[in-house]
Amino acid sequence: MSNANSPPPVPPPTGPGSPQDVPPPPGSFPIDPATLPQPIRDELQAPDPAAIDTAADELKDGLNRCPKCGSTEIRQKPGTDLLICLYCRNEWQGEGVEEAFGLGEGIDQLDGTVIASGARDINADAASLMTFKCPGCGAEVTVNTENAMTARCHWCRHVFGVNEQVPNGAVPDAVLPFHIKKDDAVARIRQFVDKRRLFALKAFKDEFTPENVVAVYLPYMIVDGKVSADVSGHGEIETRRYTKGSGDDKKTYYDADVYQLDRHVDFTVDDLPLESSAQRGNLDARTNTNNIINTIQPFDTKNAVKWNASYLSGVTSEKRDLDVEKLRPRLEDELLSIARAQVEQSVAGFDRGVRWEQEKVSVHGSRWVAMYLPVWLYSYHQPGRNGGMLHYIAVNGRTGETMGSVPVQQWKLLMTALAVGTFLEAIALFIVGHSS
Amino acid sequence: MSSDGGMWILLLGPGGATALYWTLYRYYRNTDKSHDFEHETDVVAKPVTGSEQKVDEVNGTRETRISGDNVHQFRKRVQRVHGDSG
Repeated sequence: MSNANSPPPVPPPTGPGSPQDVPPPPGSFPIDPATLPQPIRDELQAPDPAAIDTAADELKDGLNRCPKCGSTEIRQKPGTDLLICLYCRNEWQGEGVEEAFGLGEGIDQLDGTVIASGARDINADAASLMTFKCPGCGAEVTVNTENAMTARCHWCRHVFGVNEQVPNGAVPDAVLPFHIKKDDAVARIRQFVDKRRLFALKAFKDEFTPENVVAVYLPYMIVDGKVSADVSGHGEIETRRYTKGSGDDKKTYYDADVYQLDRHVDFTVDDLPLESSAQRGNLDARTNTNNIINTIQPFDTKNAVKWNASYLSGVTSEKRDLDVEKLRPRLEDELLSIARAQVEQSVAGFDRGVRWEQEKVSVHGSRWVAMYLPVWLYSYHQPGRNGGMLHYIAVNGRTGETMGSVPVQQWKLLMTALAVGTFLEAIALFIVGHSS
Repeated sequence: MSSDGGMWILLLGPGGATALYWTLYRYYRNTDKSHDFEHETDVVAKPVTGSEQKVDEVNGTRETRISGDNVHQFRKRVQRVHGDSG
């Protein structure tokens, strides 16, 4: 009786900001700022945090022990991909995962599903708490892989990390080390919020401490694919435009030819990122602000290095909880979106638009690599109904791209909108009064 | 219908207030933003192929666009035809 019901399937995320809405072009703003009152205009026109391009940086990796002295006091050298031994100051670099596994090549020859070892299915009974025997003294040390990948032995002070791939999905194939330092991330978050203070929630402004930003490695699946897609529908081309009536009664009419259309496109995608945590993958902007973390993509995943837990010392991490098969519908959805974007140009001649009615995607081959990507995350919890809303401000740990959700002081925003509306209405009444 | 000439301007107040509210709300909350993966992913595409055939004419419509126009809404899914997927 009790096990008769399985939970209903979770509906796909919808609403503004979800994958169903194409985002506006970067830097675009629907209202001309010049028409707005001065204080609002000042905020809008303040500079955005700049994003840098790190695509050409060197690739590094290493062992968990310093190759020179054998110490385990290894950290990532801040701002670089280098690992540094805190004992003998030795610095070293390793191989990039792209070259090591040949991930950038042969996408057009992909056939079937290729899954890298770190992206294999998660064992249902695998625990996230893992106990290791300390290689230094033999004591047992526990690592909670839900949020950390390294630990220090309390007895002999050895630092060790989860390096071998374990069945709970916590160890990815590759990691993209942080490049943006904390000071830099704090400055970007401050700059982002300074542009949004006028109507921000008072409690948010009072409690704003960007120094509390945390470095997190978030789990992603990086997918290459060889795909073909077909879409069909109807399009219209205007043939004639004319007006009937005169004066206030003038109306425009159109004649158009209707065409039945179909389009086919073969393409390959390289390094398409998918959130491999079910919680992060839910982008419903009405209930969470995960779309903020989604927006700071892309990462320069070409520069990722082979997994080494030393990159994660002092940094929290989130464990992957989705397998390849669970992510496949999401992949196909994104591939269809890409296909529709690809064929857009070929139907530009249909000046009255196109109504696509059917679409089909065939994934001939795909390659899946599990990767940890670096994010600086500042969060603020706004109390409210249904547990309130957790607002994120996120900084891409590689490029510095910054995006955030700043809670709004509703009454202030409403009053301003009403005041501006009243002003506009007064002008309208003035015009109507004088024209009649 | 004929007497509404000029009266639409009275919508300026409510319309302006609503537009300003939503614009600023989105500027603060960024609910409409997400990763523009259609354009920010490395995609190598072969030339698009396809056909088009005139099937009908419409005359004297007042609509400026085809009904259900979704050419720019890449993420609005339409009827899915299932093919071979490997």
